[in-house]
Amino acid sequence: MIAFILLAAAESDGQVEQIARTFGVDWQHLVAQIISFSIVCLVLHKFAYRSILAMLEQRREQIRQGIANAEKIKAELDKTEVQRQEVMAQAHAQAAKFIEDARLAAAQLQQEETRKAIAAAEQIMARAHEATAQDHDRMLADLKREVGNLVVQATTTVTGKILTAEDQRRLAEETSKQIAA
Amino acid sequence: MKNTKQAKREAKQLYRLCLTNGLLDENRVRQVVQHAVGSGERDTSSVLAHFVHLVKLDCARHTATIESATPLPDDLQTEIQTGLTNRYGAGLTTAFVQRPELIGGMRVQVGCDVYDGSVRAWLDALAKSF
Repeated sequence: MIAFILLAAAESDGQVEQIARTFGVDWQHLVAQIISFSIVCLVLHKFAYRSILAMLEQRREQIRQGIANAEKIKAELDKTEVQRQEVMAQAHAQAAKFIEDARLAAAQLQQEETRKAIAAAEQIMARAHEATAQDHDRMLADLKREVGNLVVQATTTVTGKILTAEDQRRLAEETSKQIAA
Repeated sequence: MKNTKQAKREAKQLYRLCLTNGLLDENRVRQVVQHAVGSGERDTSSVLAHFVHLVKLDCARHTATIESATPLPDDLQTEIQTGLTNRYGAGLTTAFVQRPELIGGMRVQVGCDVYDGSVRAWLDALAKSF
């Protein structure tokens, strides 16, 4: 800018002077202000901008670390999610295995109980059949004995009346022959 | 006091003394009994008891009891006596007894041998078979 002003002053000194007077420019004040402004800029650059830039750099570093941490945390979360999914899958598989084992055990128990129940029922049936058969045999024997007694009584009553003297002699001779034999 | 074994042995000796040709002589039996009772010896009761038992057994062996529902004809009685004599030898005493409860037929017992052809026996066997 200074070079531009000097160049302008060198090339068109008159014109510039005229414009500067029109706008009320005081070269001494302007140069002084420029110098003071430059000094202020240097001081600010040295004492303020550096610390601010350092602070900004620190903030940037913190933000970068925060982003890295967030990404790390996100990765950890993803990893944890994967592990959770694996654990859930294992738990599901184990639960399914437990359920299947329990179902098998229940089926075996049911079969065993069914078999025992069938055996008990068959045993009861066999005993019932045996008892029935024994009752039947006993009743048959009683009936046979009763009928036999009736037959014997009837025969006893009738035989003495129908046996003739010849029959008596024939019966006695049979015994006599048995003795003589 | 004589023990049972000795009493049995002496009773058997007395019993053998009473046998004549294998048959029991009643007179000798009476003599033995009278002698034993008259001797007054102790312990003769057990010997006599065994002796009586042997005599009873002998009598039973030589006694045939013929039981019939109706009286048997003479010829049949003779036939039966002959058959018994042939089987058991001479000296057999026969006794004919009428027992209407036999219903029919005849029952002969000689000692432990029994020939039962009575209707009652058949009916008893029939009743037992039921």
